[in-house]
Amino acid sequence: MRDKLLFNICPEGEFFGRNREIDYIFRRATESHKSPNIFLTGRKWMGKTEVLRRVHRKLFWDQAHVVPVYYQFRRYGSVESFSEDYLKEVLKQYFAYKKREPRILKSEVSIDKLERLLIDSDSFELAEFISRHREAKKSGDKTAVLRNAISAPDLITLRSGIPIYLILDDLDLAPYINLFNEGPGIMKEFMEALNSGSFSFLAASSTKKVLEGGVSNGSIEAITLEGLDEELAVSMMMELCRQYNIEFDSEILTLAAFKLEGNPNYIKNLIWAAHRADKELVILKDFVDLYANELVDGNIGFAFRSSIHLKGLSDLRLLSACANAGKAVSEEDLAEKFRISPEEFRKTIDELGTAGLLEASLGSIKWVGDNVVKDYIFYIYETRVKGRSAEEVKTCFIRDGLKEGFNFKGAKIRGRFKEEAAELVKKFNGQSMLKVLFRNQAFSARFKNGPPKSVEKKIDEDLILPQIIGCFDTLRWEANETGAPILIAHGFQNSRYDSGNEVVWIIGVKEATAPFNLGDIENFVRRSIILKENFRATRIVRWVISKEGFTAEAQKRAEGEGIFSTDNVQFRIISDSIDDKAKSERLKSADKIVPVKEFEVVLPSATKAELVGARAVEEIGTEMGFDEDSIGQIKAALVEACINAFEHSKMKSTKVFLRFVASGDRLTIHVQNGGADFDKSAQSESIAETTSGLPHKRGWGLELMKGLMDEVRFEKLRGGTKIVMVKFLIKKGEGRDGQE
Amino acid sequence: MGKNRNYREAGDSVILYPENYINDIEGEKLEDMCDIFLARGFKKIIIDFSETDLINSIGVSIMIGIIEKIKDKKGLILFSGLKKVNHDIFSIVGLTKHIPVFSTEKEALDVVSCEDRLPM
Repeated sequence: MRDKLLFNICPEGEFFGRNREIDYIFRRATESHKSPNIFLTGRKWMGKTEVLRRVHRKLFWDQAHVVPVYYQFRRYGSVESFSEDYLKEVLKQYFAYKKREPRILKSEVSIDKLERLLIDSDSFELAEFISRHREAKKSGDKTAVLRNAISAPDLITLRSGIPIYLILDDLDLAPYINLFNEGPGIMKEFMEALNSGSFSFLAASSTKKVLEGGVSNGSIEAITLEGLDEELAVSMMMELCRQYNIEFDSEILTLAAFKLEGNPNYIKNLIWAAHRADKELVILKDFVDLYANELVDGNIGFAFRSSIHLKGLSDLRLLSACANAGKAVSEEDLAEKFRISPEEFRKTIDELGTAGLLEASLGSIKWVGDNVVKDYIFYIYETRVKGRSAEEVKTCFIRDGLKEGFNFKGAKIRGRFKEEAAELVKKFNGQSMLKVLFRNQAFSARFKNGPPKSVEKKIDEDLILPQIIGCFDTLRWEANETGAPILIAHGFQNSRYDSGNEVVWIIGVKEATAPFNLGDIENFVRRSIILKENFRATRIVRWVISKEGFTAEAQKRAEGEGIFSTDNVQFRIISDSIDDKAKSERLKSADKIVPVKEFEVVLPSATKAELVGARAVEEIGTEMGFDEDSIGQIKAALVEACINAFEHSKMKSTKVFLRFVASGDRLTIHVQNGGADFDKSAQSESIAETTSGLPHKRGWGLELMKGLMDEVRFEKLRGGTKIVMVKFLIKKGEGRDGQE
Repeated sequence: MGKNRNYREAGDSVILYPENYINDIEGEKLEDMCDIFLARGFKKIIIDFSETDLINSIGVSIMIGIIEKIKDKKGLILFSGLKKVNHDIFSIVGLTKHIPVFSTEKEALDVVSCEDRLPM
């Protein structure tokens, strides 16, 4: 009930995946010293307002170090109306917090009424701001009106000794407040007041543009709010489907989560649309129909219509051109193509920038909106510019959506493996690695189909990796190319930074479900010849990585061309040993390589579901050669991790994702939930003994995991935490840390 | 509790046989059993874990509660038949410092019959 009196937030059952950000900001806001200012950015409708309001709510009720003041910018008629509104909110919310009276916070009082209220409560120091505001307004001094308002948080903080924590929502609208008609904006003065203040602030904006021009004096921390990751987005959709009694198929929800880019607002609107229309989400067409209707006639389309202000068809053409360009477009070319005057052009770009759709930088314009907005722009462009009917465009959406969804499985995995490859290459730093890990034909001959065979000796040779200084894709050069994506990794070898030791690795990454075939190799060879032209004086190394391995012809051709080739198993070994120097040392000989095996298990939220994981790990551990005691320890630790993951997920229908990576010397277990953080603090806070001498009852999960496994670590993820546990395989005659 | 038998009375002692997985539900069942026997005046309770493969942290919490209750009533509690992993778990928690642990139920019973041999 008390929460209803603060700023509106969505119901708890519909709120997902932002607890980590909220808890973090809350912690920073309540630190004893002045905390750094935080700038929260993210695309429109990503849930920034929800995060800010929940931070405010938590600060209002759960602490006494700072006074939270939430202010949402909007469009104002004049600088006086902004100043009055801003001052009123600062004073009203400060007063409400001090009195712990949320009703005051939500009440719509005039500034005169607020002044009376403050005087009646003997808060003369606050009422004084209103009297100064009135005087400045009466004398027509707009600058004084503005300064009185924007200096209020600082002066109140200095006088009271209790700092205000200012929460500024939609800061990207602030630059539109002008001191005079067509005169300078207030942004510079406003930000100076914020930065010189003795208080901290949290500001949210859809664009990073407001950061330009000295917003920060250096002590700002940027947080980007991304879409929910796939697991969390799917969990959210499942939970909402259950709440609204909508039949669903999890594969279709996965597709929907992908298409909606994990945007929580789009997800909610789609589920509400299904509920309103009494539709299911069981087959692909269910989703595609709902999506098309939402864009054209639904809440999503309505939200776009009300927030994207297009003044005419030229704006629409410009937006459509940028959305479809696939890269940054020169401002000059655009202005000329659409025959817009420079002033008009600048204004339009600024407006569309504020809407979070375009970003102007160094003379070029780039589309930064998401794909759902892009589809909406396509819809209005086709209907208004090309004159097609809404039904015709809708049909087009449905047709394309069905085709895209049909190929979804392949599309879903695209990008992940490429990113992993790029991350791995960036770790190359002169390490020594077995050559066989880069030669798939030799690797297969040696390790596939039975125990390692003795083959040519040179596969035991080392390859000294270069020191990579950067890695990027080739989209700029290969916009219209088909085939596996290619990465360019630039670096130096032999620890010498001269032209003779400069090296470029051209890396093809295939992540489709089929192996790399002869056609793929030929495509890669052709494209690398063209790409090589960009690095004429540099030594070139070609490497192909294929998740599903290589056909025999492809292996042979790669070997013949001198192209390095690596499949998923080799990739994991490289990845594993590059992170672990000790392991890298141990793998001095190819005989020591044991290919990595990976297993995945998804646990539903059900009674004793953790035992399913325990059973799986028992099988894997036995196969790896762990003794009975170690298997018991691994099972017990896994059970704890699963319980923790379920307990802290905060979602009724969550799943827990387990990944077991069995390598030569260890078993690595990844336990991930689809929700909030695992609560490490709660785990360790009650480990002291009771007065009776017995241990405390609760909070033993983490201690048990640590005690039973060799390594336990937490990894932060978007919208949750992952526990990673490692157990080393102790073989006969070996001891832990060299001990018998 | 165990499939074939939940408990066995032996003179002024009772032996409890928990299930193979002690979680919240099984832990509470065990706690209820202890309450019943304490109410009936039994002061010597042996928990035999030979059928128990796993005890989770919630089960451990409940076990600590059970021990507290028994100690409050000036009773005696002993563990027997602990598998290595369960011994590790109790050891990490620190329970093995407080509770005598025996390899078999028989050893535990022999000891309770001459109570003065027990470390209290």
